Amino acid sequence: MIIKGKVIKYGDDINTDVIFPGRYLAITDPKEMAEHAMEDLDKDFLEKVKEKRIIVAGKNFGCGSSREQAATCLKYAGVEAIVAKSFARIFFRNAINQGMPVIESAEASEDIDDGDEIEIILDRGVIKNLSKGKEYNFKPLPAFIMEIIEDGGLVNHLKKSIK
Amino acid sequence: MGSTIIEKILEKASGKKVAPGDKVWAKIDLVAMRDFGGPNVILKYEKEFDDEPVFDPEKIAITFDLHIPPRQIKEAENQKICREFARKKGVKLFDINHGIGQHTLLENGLVKPYDVIIGTDSHMNLLGVAEAFSTGVGITDIVTAMRYGKLWFRVPETVKININGKPGEFVTPKDVILHLVGYFGADGLSYKSVEFYGDFIENLGLDGRITIASMVTEMDGKIGFMIPNAEVINFLKEKTGKEIKPISPDKDAEYIESYDFDISNLEPMISCPHSPDNVKAVREVEGKEIDQVFIGSCTNGRIEDLRIAAKILKGKRVKARTIITPSTTEVAKQALREGLIEVFLESGAVVTNPSCALCTIGHPGVLAKGDVTLSTSNRNYPGKIGKGGEIYLVSPATAAASAINGRITDPRDMR
Repeated sequence: MIIKGKVIKYGDDINTDVIFPGRYLAITDPKEMAEHAMEDLDKDFLEKVKEKRIIVAGKNFGCGSSREQAATCLKYAGVEAIVAKSFARIFFRNAINQGMPVIESAEASEDIDDGDEIEIILDRGVIKNLSKGKEYNFKPLPAFIMEIIEDGGLVNHLKKSIK
Repeated sequence: MGSTIIEKILEKASGKKVAPGDKVWAKIDLVAMRDFGGPNVILKYEKEFDDEPVFDPEKIAITFDLHIPPRQIKEAENQKICREFARKKGVKLFDINHGIGQHTLLENGLVKPYDVIIGTDSHMNLLGVAEAFSTGVGITDIVTAMRYGKLWFRVPETVKININGKPGEFVTPKDVILHLVGYFGADGLSYKSVEFYGDFIENLGLDGRITIASMVTEMDGKIGFMIPNAEVINFLKEKTGKEIKPISPDKDAEYIESYDFDISNLEPMISCPHSPDNVKAVREVEGKEIDQVFIGSCTNGRIEDLRIAAKILKGKRVKARTIITPSTTEVAKQALREGLIEVFLESGAVVTNPSCALCTIGHPGVLAKGDVTLSTSNRNYPGKIGKGGEIYLVSPATAAASAINGRITDPRDMR
């Protein structure tokens, strides 16, 4: 699986309250959730994500309240992958269950700048920075986690593999 | 290399040798949900799977423990969604007359060593007292596990914590775990499995073990295990009707860290606003005036907790308004038989029906702005039981002593 695109860059400790504000928790339609993605962090996010579909951030991405909507809203807003120095563990789990690739790489997190074009080769554990002509390595996700992501999330994966 | 307790459980559940950091599929022995969270799970289940059957109705339990009996129409409707689903799918339902979910699961023989249990509650992990691996997870996780009976986990690293020594009178397991929460901090055991050892743990009964295991969450730990002693084995045997074989780690199991605590001279401890790891000795804050006291919760609502509170309250009147909530109906009945309920009522306390009670804002007894409360619960974040209220976390002994004086009081002064 290869994901290629431009980057929106954010800092450390991006918490789930700014990814998906608590005042919208009653929303159940994922497309409607997407309309509020990153609303309290970056009011231009929905405009940016039209052409930049990969988020690169610092440490502890997705910390705070365990709301699953944080991963869901980013997915339906059109984000195709998130690269971070580290992820809060509940967000990491929720993202995979939603079929969102999450990649931990300190080197990539530090070196990639906003607007860079990158290519993530998930099963080989390589990120190519096409804008800077550089490469970063990361530990690839295990095969079965890759299958969950490729099938579009945990529910779809098990529906498919058990039928 | 040998295996720790969590590794042994996940090896049995996944059918293969595991190491920390591995991600594995594990079969699920019990899926639990509550009146809060449960309705969202059910609505999502019906959306994803329509009328498809659950993987095993015997392995799904709904426990009502938060809004019981319901006060608001929304809560009543949520409980109705759960009841209808339980009837349709034939899954177990523990209605408004039981009490706190995890304790109800234990008392109904649904928990034993090697079980993998998931639920919609961040304190599911207290079931580590039965050497079950139990953890709170997201809605997608619950829904999928309910249909297919399996879920993926990352195998945690294991930390060993030895607790030795015999603390003095009115220094309780709550003081021990508050001391540890203060030592490790709010994220000090992040995603770690903890194994507790030492003579203090070996001599501790089920109730004290529950207190300690429940607050592993407040250090961001995944789960805390204690190898069952005779008392715990007998309890589990009686409730499950099965032979109970405790899990022992292998001699060459690998621990990433090991800690030793001698609690012989430990004092009563208190967690100050607004974070559980803001821990001090009660002596450092004694004398502060309080408005309310709550004794109960999944951390401190067991019979031993009520006994020590009654010992201090007997023959006295409370100055601060006091709410006491047994964790389950079984505990409440025992307290009634022992005369503890009468002691509480004579002291001027309010005794409520078994439930989670004042662990969240959705329950009678919420705080007015500026109110100060002492609680035997496990969290004191701002707004937890009322905007502008201050929550101090303490043992049932400190709570009872302070209720009498209307001020934060070291329970050793009541001897």
